[in-house]
Amino acid sequence: MIQRYRASAGIMLTPAVTLIGIFILLPMMLTVWLSFQDWSTQTPFSSASFVGLDNFREIFGASSVGRDFKGALTNTAIYTALSVILILPLSVAFGLMVYQHDVAGGTALRTVLFSTYMVPMIAVALAWSKLYSPSEGPLNQMLGLIGIGPQPFLSSPRSALVSIVLLNVWQQVGYFTVLAIAGLTQIPGSLYEAAKLDGANRFEQFRFITLPLMRRTLLFSAVIAIINAVQVFEPVALITQGGPVGSTNVLTYHIRRVGIERAQGGLGSAMAVMLMLSLIVVVCALFALANRKDQE
Amino acid sequence: MSFAWTSKLALAAGLAILPATAWAQSVNISYLTHWSPETVALLEAAAKDYAKANPDVSVTVRAVPFGDLLTTLRSQGGNADGPTIGGIYDLWLPELARDKLVAPAPDAVASEVKASWPAGVTSAASVGGTLYGIPNEIDVYALNYNKALFKQAGIAAPPKTWDEFKDAAKKLTNKEAGQQGFGMINSWAAGVVHPFASLLVSNGGELVKDGTPVLDSQQAAQTFQLYEDLIKSGASVPAMATADANTTGPFLDNFVSGKTGMIIMANWWESALKTGMGDKFADIATAPIPVGPSGDKPHSISYSWMTVVNANAGAAEQKAAWEFLAWLNNPKSGKNGASAMSDILMSMGILPSRLSDIEAHKEKLGSEFLSGYVSVLADAKPFPVVPGGQEFSESLQQTLEALQYGQVSAKDAQATAQADATSILERAAK
Repeated sequence: MIQRYRASAGIMLTPAVTLIGIFILLPMMLTVWLSFQDWSTQTPFSSASFVGLDNFREIFGASSVGRDFKGALTNTAIYTALSVILILPLSVAFGLMVYQHDVAGGTALRTVLFSTYMVPMIAVALAWSKLYSPSEGPLNQMLGLIGIGPQPFLSSPRSALVSIVLLNVWQQVGYFTVLAIAGLTQIPGSLYEAAKLDGANRFEQFRFITLPLMRRTLLFSAVIAIINAVQVFEPVALITQGGPVGSTNVLTYHIRRVGIERAQGGLGSAMAVMLMLSLIVVVCALFALANRKDQE
Repeated sequence: MSFAWTSKLALAAGLAILPATAWAQSVNISYLTHWSPETVALLEAAAKDYAKANPDVSVTVRAVPFGDLLTTLRSQGGNADGPTIGGIYDLWLPELARDKLVAPAPDAVASEVKASWPAGVTSAASVGGTLYGIPNEIDVYALNYNKALFKQAGIAAPPKTWDEFKDAAKKLTNKEAGQQGFGMINSWAAGVVHPFASLLVSNGGELVKDGTPVLDSQQAAQTFQLYEDLIKSGASVPAMATADANTTGPFLDNFVSGKTGMIIMANWWESALKTGMGDKFADIATAPIPVGPSGDKPHSISYSWMTVVNANAGAAEQKAAWEFLAWLNNPKSGKNGASAMSDILMSMGILPSRLSDIEAHKEKLGSEFLSGYVSVLADAKPFPVVPGGQEFSESLQQTLEALQYGQVSAKDAQATAQADATSILERAAK
């Protein structure tokens, strides 16, 4: 009986497992295999030659290849951290504002917030590159009205990456606000009523009810925000091309340059593997932290 | 001959012709370029003219931004459905040829090119003695300066030496008015490297000699030092330097709005300058690159573009592509003895490289702006076309940008540039 059950389960799982194997596992394994090869992306896989850990040694070495990779890895980490640090609190704050039934215009605000997520990145990039323009940009003109001199924004290695982060936050925060609202709807109203009867003020209600009960939602939002941020490509390709001085050169853009433009498939694959490993470590650490909090 | 026999013969002839007709009608070739929509329209018009005499060949034109051109060629050129023809920068050719993405030119085309183009331009379109593309444009760098700003600053003539250049840059700088003396470029590899290389060769130096980088020379040290001096004196402001090859960004904005006194730029920016400046374009003049303390006379950097054919395209498509390109670059396809290609190039202010085209466009090439470029062409040194050239360019770009933003000293920048270039070119040569 059990054997028959196992056989039918196996038959039913086969199509899904096969598809996952072909379209997800195989490309991942291929990338890992290529990271140990010297291979030009313009030649067949059969022309790849095994070089052991040379590609990894090179991307962490002192040459320009290593410097550029480490710079791109750092930029990606900063971009991701800043994006998550800004997006999560803002999404909760906007979520709380929009979720209040007694606030007029809540639905309109929700629509406006979510609409930024629906704007194509090319339009966002065009608009923001003009907003940030050092000479005629509206942002500098507004700063000028309050006595602040023109800021270089995208033209300085100090501010270019942060400027790209702000663009990302502006576009993504609406989506994460919707997730926050979904989390808020899961919290029973009776808890707030009981807290009110016990004399808890608004801040205490937020601190001891809202925040703890939104932990799962926030964990999900954080994971999605990290994955989205790590994959950043379009604003860099469309506005800064990784500059100035490589200050906005993020890993996806750099891997494209190395792997496709320079056809250095082995090096590009090693970089992609490191990106994948970094992402796995960060997400696992986040889940481990959340589990520990749950156990506490 | 009876009617029955005549009918049979006609039917047989028809059947014999049928496969050829069917084959002939099916040749579609595509042309990948980075040109603007206005220029693409001119190329499409030329293709339409070609189709009048060759109804069996249809040419479609596809344009991508310059920054995506090499990626598109690399990602799509490996199969038969990729672009049949591509316009490429000569620096990319050695690696595209090594990876067998571009086809060698047929003998007839190669003979025509060798007979009708200058030897230097032909060699830039060749790898190991084999010609891979039909050269079209040639670009050269010169000093562009704003005559109105020069007059305001009391400068009578464009600088001829680096001392005069530094002095002019200082006089043209007005921090309160947000005006810089000399505009450098950042965020675009060729835009950063070519003006630097032009100053270097005008100081008697070179980027690469016999396949080996020579950025450790005294001439290079002086050029890195010049950059540091210009930045430290405030005569060049890196925040005003962001640019890209699509002729957008603060670098162009600042020059066209009179906030930059001098730039070192290639002739192909003429159309962007005209569009941005309107009547004030008359204020812009061209002069040779100022000569450095170790230089003998003005030199600058030149580079060329060419059209290549996808080596993975079908035989019929390749044949049709070479025939179309031969026609496009032929003196009979354009106006007054010029090729259709040269007419397209001249619409953008780009110098054609075919000898007969230079002759046919003599009058326009004598304009105040372009004549300055034509005059420096003879002493221009071609940008080194070596395997790994693009990576070398991008690496030098990073170092020069770090110097612009004060992250490294001139001495450190020189040492880094030489070490990086050596490692990149050695790896690429393997």
